[in-house]
Amino acid sequence: MGEVSARCALEVRLLAARPVPLDVMLTCRSTELLALVGPSGAGKTTVLRAIAGLLRPSAGLVAVDGETWFSSESGVFVPPQARRVGLVFQDYALFPHLSALDNVAIALGSGLEPDPRRKAKSLLARVRLEGLEERRPAELSGGERQRVALARALAREPRVLLLDEPFSAVDRGTRERLKRELRILRESLEIPIVLVTHDIDEALALADRLSVLDHGTTIASGAPDEVRSRPSSPAVARLMGHANVFDGLVEAAAGEGGPGRIRWRGTALVAGATGRFSKGERVTWLIGPENVALLKPGDRAGEAPENGIDGILTELLGASDQMIAAVRVGEGSDALLQFRIAAREARRLGLAPGTPVTVSLLSDAIHLMAPER
Amino acid sequence: MQILRRGILASVITLFWAPGLGRAAEEPVVAAASDLQFALAEIRALFAAQTGRDVRLAFGSSGNIARQIRSGAPIELFLSADESHVLALARDGLTEGEGVIYALGRIVIIVPHGSPLEADGSLEDLKAALARGRVEKFAIANPEHAPYGQRAKEVLIRKDLWSALEGKLVLGENVSQAAQFATSGAAQGGIIAHSLALSPDVGRRGTFALIPADWHTPLRQRMVLVKGAGSVAREFFELVRGPGGRAILKRYGFTLPGEPG
Amino acid sequence: MDWTAFALSLKLAFWTCVLILPVGVVAGRALAWGQFRGKALLEALILLPLVLPPTVLGYYLLVGFAPGSALGRLFASLFGAPLVFSFSGILVASLIANLPFAIQPLERAFEAIPPAVREAAWVSGLSNWRTFLKIELPLAWPGLVSGLALTFAHTLGEFGVILMIGGNIPGETQTLSIALYDRVQAFRNWEAGAMAAVLLAFSFLAIAIVHVMARRRPWLHG
Repeated sequence: MGEVSARCALEVRLLAARPVPLDVMLTCRSTELLALVGPSGAGKTTVLRAIAGLLRPSAGLVAVDGETWFSSESGVFVPPQARRVGLVFQDYALFPHLSALDNVAIALGSGLEPDPRRKAKSLLARVRLEGLEERRPAELSGGERQRVALARALAREPRVLLLDEPFSAVDRGTRERLKRELRILRESLEIPIVLVTHDIDEALALADRLSVLDHGTTIASGAPDEVRSRPSSPAVARLMGHANVFDGLVEAAAGEGGPGRIRWRGTALVAGATGRFSKGERVTWLIGPENVALLKPGDRAGEAPENGIDGILTELLGASDQMIAAVRVGEGSDALLQFRIAAREARRLGLAPGTPVTVSLLSDAIHLMAPER
Repeated sequence: MQILRRGILASVITLFWAPGLGRAAEEPVVAAASDLQFALAEIRALFAAQTGRDVRLAFGSSGNIARQIRSGAPIELFLSADESHVLALARDGLTEGEGVIYALGRIVIIVPHGSPLEADGSLEDLKAALARGRVEKFAIANPEHAPYGQRAKEVLIRKDLWSALEGKLVLGENVSQAAQFATSGAAQGGIIAHSLALSPDVGRRGTFALIPADWHTPLRQRMVLVKGAGSVAREFFELVRGPGGRAILKRYGFTLPGEPG
Repeated sequence: MDWTAFALSLKLAFWTCVLILPVGVVAGRALAWGQFRGKALLEALILLPLVLPPTVLGYYLLVGFAPGSALGRLFASLFGAPLVFSFSGILVASLIANLPFAIQPLERAFEAIPPAVREAAWVSGLSNWRTFLKIELPLAWPGLVSGLALTFAHTLGEFGVILMIGGNIPGETQTLSIALYDRVQAFRNWEAGAMAAVLLAFSFLAIAIVHVMARRRPWLHG
């Protein structure tokens, strides 16, 4: 733990029973963006509030750059005013009676800044709000408000920046633009950033690291790709949006004089890696839809390069370019394998619900997890 | 702008800051029974003309004023409509002695214009009208604490009209309000103070007749200085009992002490 | 027109407003955001004067602050005069009677401030006091003006309790509404009429202010 503390700018450990049960551990380095994901009600916002000092957990530690803001052990609790955190609230919580400029200037007004209004003006320029300084929040668009909130959060030269669902209150086009701007802004920030979101794609697109929260507990953390494609448990897999999650039995562990094999619905599937699981163990396995390929019409399962499986196409969803197709595997079964297919391709092949199809599963993409009890 | 605003605020505060503290001593409160409503206003004007000073007049029923004095109200001179309230205060040591009788009051029956009643001092017409059901409302002052109300009740009992009037009586908080009720037109008549009936304001609203003085306990109207009364209240006290006051009271129908009724 | 009574009414309304303002702000804020034992009971107590007959309040003040009683002696030693039949007395009565008028609009106004806005102020480094001055108070401003307007108008119109404990003493406790009643008894109807018109105008003005403030969120406009 000592090694981690030395390297990490932000270190958070929280234990609480109220207002939501918490058992959280996070670390985030300077310049790193940590995305805190999980379903609503998982306690993501509560974690941000604890870091900001708006909430005092029953036990734990919040430290930034080795400076302790909260420690139940030593009884330290630094009030939010003294923490120098930048927090962008979910609905921005701008001061409705103040102009954009004053919203930012008031955060600079603790006496340290010789000319708060000038500094505020330059902060607003940094988030590209020149010319809108005198507008009140009600006269700004959602995206402009978010930028004011960001400028206000940056005003105190925070030692950690906290973003609570910062893109949820704006339309899609604005969201993409704001995300782009956040990426650019990050270049100039030498502090840890924690982003709370329920949108996995947003987290994958922006984060350096991911921490998954469910029912107040950190259930996974790591590099975004890793967490998504190799989730540590079926629960994480579900939260990451995986649909192709099934139960199976290890027939042969990989590396014992051959590839690994799992048995699923009477078919033996070759799996590139079987990890810590050994022969005879029950496992839950998954495969990303991007690693399921549709074979040419007429090709049968046995002709597949890898893990060929026959089934009946039951669904074809989505309209514009990319469609999601689902294949029922086995007569009367409820096992649906999803894969992606270009809409043009689906039309060319004349795919429709009821069509018999054969798919191939990329063996290196099959990931094994311990089944849920 | 700022200075101007502060100036206004400051002057408002000084204007309102406990005025009356200094004034109270100079303009004492004279509390009087309501039958003096008009007579005392004239005496006050005379007082102002003679001395250049003023008093503050507060009217009410004698019982209520006595209660206020007991509760520490800043009243310096009390002109009661009878003597029992004054003597009770004196017994409890709240006044400077027992004061003096300044007038003897009379009661009248008053009927507004257009009333089916006649202004008949013998109350015979009232009796007849009641028998015929021509009286719906009849106003007197509250006998509980207003001396004029007590005397009205006495004569109504004496003439055996009290029970017949039950349910028809409108009680004024004091005799002035009773006069207001009696002449408003909503009641067919009432029994009020002679002094009020003689004022133009009341007089033009109806006709009245005196009720014999020996039908009720005399209204021996006593006034007294409350302990702690200042010099202005004393001067006013002297004016009321002096020739100037007597002349005015006489004009308002009061019988004066030492003079034949 | 009785200018003494008019000035006295203004003075009473002015001091009631001045003294009730801090009470209203502190109580309204505490009731809007505070979670404490007995909050429901306290709210009920504050609302009580709305439905309580003024004479009931007058009765308890008369009895509680009678010159012989402990409270009465305490009051007399503090203010140099007994509570009953004095200006300080009707001021105390007026303060109690106006609690709901001052506190309610302020409570509603503070309630309307999103908790996140206050938290944003703390996170922006504003102390609790500066948050109150710079954020909460400006946002609760319409409620404050409404509360004061209602208190002012209601004080001008207060009758029963003032008659009971004030006793109709000119220049001391005879407010405009009492003087109006007094003038009617004295058959001086045109004077009463002038006073009635003044009271009507003030009441209308107060309601107009409250009405305008209820719609007004100045920060929504430029």
